[in-house]
Amino acid sequence: MTTSNEYRRIAVFGGVYNNALALEATLADARRRDVDAVFCLGDMGGFGPHPDRVFPLLREGGVLAIQGNYDESIAGGRADCGCGYTDPRDNHYALVSYRYTLRHTSAENRRWLGALPLGRRLKLGPYQVLMAHGSPRQINEFLWESTTPNGLLRRMLREHETDVLLCTHTGIKWHRPLPDDQHVVNVGVIGRPENDGTPRVWYTLLTAGPALQVEFVPVHYDHEALAAQMDAEGLPPEFAETIRTGWWTTCLENLPSRERARGRY
Amino acid sequence: MSRLPLAVVDSAASAPLAPFVRFSTLWIQITGTWCNLECTHCINASGPRDPWLRPLDGAAARRAIAEAEELGVKDIYFTGGEPFLHAEILPLIERSLATAPTTVLTNGTAITEATADALAALARRSPYSLDIRVSLDDVDREENDRVRGEGSWARAVEAVRRLHARGILPIVTATEIAGHRDGGAAGATASYRAFRDFLRALGIDKPRVKIMPVFALGRRADGGGAILTEEALEGFDRATLQCADARVVADGGVYACPILAGLPGARLSSGSLEASFRPARLFHSACTTCHQTGMTCRNG
Repeated sequence: MTTSNEYRRIAVFGGVYNNALALEATLADARRRDVDAVFCLGDMGGFGPHPDRVFPLLREGGVLAIQGNYDESIAGGRADCGCGYTDPRDNHYALVSYRYTLRHTSAENRRWLGALPLGRRLKLGPYQVLMAHGSPRQINEFLWESTTPNGLLRRMLREHETDVLLCTHTGIKWHRPLPDDQHVVNVGVIGRPENDGTPRVWYTLLTAGPALQVEFVPVHYDHEALAAQMDAEGLPPEFAETIRTGWWTTCLENLPSRERARGRY
Repeated sequence: MSRLPLAVVDSAASAPLAPFVRFSTLWIQITGTWCNLECTHCINASGPRDPWLRPLDGAAARRAIAEAEELGVKDIYFTGGEPFLHAEILPLIERSLATAPTTVLTNGTAITEATADALAALARRSPYSLDIRVSLDDVDREENDRVRGEGSWARAVEAVRRLHARGILPIVTATEIAGHRDGGAAGATASYRAFRDFLRALGIDKPRVKIMPVFALGRRADGGGAILTEEALEGFDRATLQCADARVVADGGVYACPILAGLPGARLSSGSLEASFRPARLFHSACTTCHQTGMTCRNG
C-alpha cells in the first residue's frame, strides 16, 4: 500500500488492455482538465495489440499505477490471467489474449508490473481515498453495479477506514453515493468500450469541493486504427469487433443478468 | 423422517479444517429436500415424499437475511429442494433483493405465467440483479426426462421461455449426466456448445449456461467416497474453498455448504450466522469433490 500527498483533482482509470491509442488520448484529455495527478488501477495488458507500447506512455506521463490481476499474472509468468472463467469458450479467448500479451511483454516491463503496489491511499481534499483493482480484499473480485450491495460496501469502507473507494476490474463504470458522504466508484476502463454499442471508452475525474464531484469522461480515440492493428497481429476478429462496435463478444460469463441484458450478446 | 441418504463418516472430529476467511455468500435451503421431481442424480436426494430435511420457516429465512445484511453479505442464493414450492418464496425473494443480488436455483416446473410476471416485477424494482438458474440436463427431451422425470424437459424449457420473454436472462444449469458423455474438457465444451445452440434456436439471444460435474452424492452416493486428509491438502490454499466465505441456513441451523445442510455433525450454529463463522471440518466425500474439481455452486 502506497500513501501519497493531498490532491484537489485527480483523473483515474483502469484496464488499459494494451490499448496505447486510448491511453494516449486519455492522458491528453486529463492534462487539459487541470488535474493534479493521474492514477491507473491496473490491468495494463490483455485484449489489444502491442503490449509494450503502453509502458512508455504510463511512465513518461507520470501515471501512478497499482497492480491488477492481469499484471500480477504477467509479472509472474503464470499460466493464465486469473479471471476464473469456467465456460470453455471464455477460457479459450482469455488464453489467446493472455498468451499473446505474455509473449510480447518485455522482461523490463514485466519487472515494472511486478513492482507495482496493490493499492494506494491518498487525501482528496477532506476525503480519505483508497484505490484497489478489484476490491480492497481481493485483487480479482468483481464489483459490478448490480451485484454489489450497499451493506458490503459500507463494510469495506469501515474495515479499510476510508471515505471513498475506487476500483475497476469489471470494465463498466458506476458511482454509488452512500450515507455520511461516503462513495464507491468503479472508474471504468479505457482499453475496451463498456458494452454500450459505442466505441468510446471512459475515465473518471474526481474533484474535492464542498462535496465530492465524480465525473465520468468519455474518450474518443482512433479505434479503427487499433482494430486494424489487432487484425494485423492476428488477434481474434471477435476482439476487433468489440473495439469497432462497442459490444462485448467474449468473456460474457461473469456479467450479471442486468449488465448482460444491456449488451448485444 | 426418512433415512439420510448422504454418507457421514465417524471420523469428523479428526478431519482437516477449512478456515473461515470472510462472509460473502448466504445460501438459504428454503425447501430443504422437498421437491416435486426425483432426479436420479440429485446431490441431496430431494423428492416429493417425506423430505429428510424439512423446509425452512419463512420467518427464519427473513431473520437470516436481516443478519446477513448487517454482516455485509455479497450475494444470496435460494435452493432446496424446489424453492418455488415454498408458500412464501416470492416475498422472500423480494426481501432478499432489498439486501443483495439474489439467485434462485429451480427446476422451472413451478414457474407459471403469473410467477414469471411476479419475478419480472421484483427484478425491475430491485437495485440488484435477480438470477434464476433453471436446471435442464440435456437439450434432448428423452435424455433429460430419463434423468429428471417425464415431462420435466417441456416444463423447464417453458420456464426458460417465460423468463426470457420478460427480460430475465435465466442461467440454464446442467450436469453432465445425460448426453455428451465424452468426459473431461472436450465433454464440457461440447455441452456448452450444445446448450448455447439449443437456447439460440429457442430464440434466447443471450444464452447463459453453467455446466456442473455429476457428483457421487445423494441419490448417486456409493458410500465409498474418499475423505480429505491433511496430506491431501498439503500445498492447497483452503481459503479458495467455498466454505471459507459462505454459510447455509437450513431447518435446524447453519451449515458450511448446501450439500452438508442438515447432516449430523455438520451444523456450525443453531441459528445465528455470526456464531457459525469458525473453521469447518472437511469430513465428507463432498469436500473431496469440491477440493478436486475446484467447482463453485455460485453462478460464476
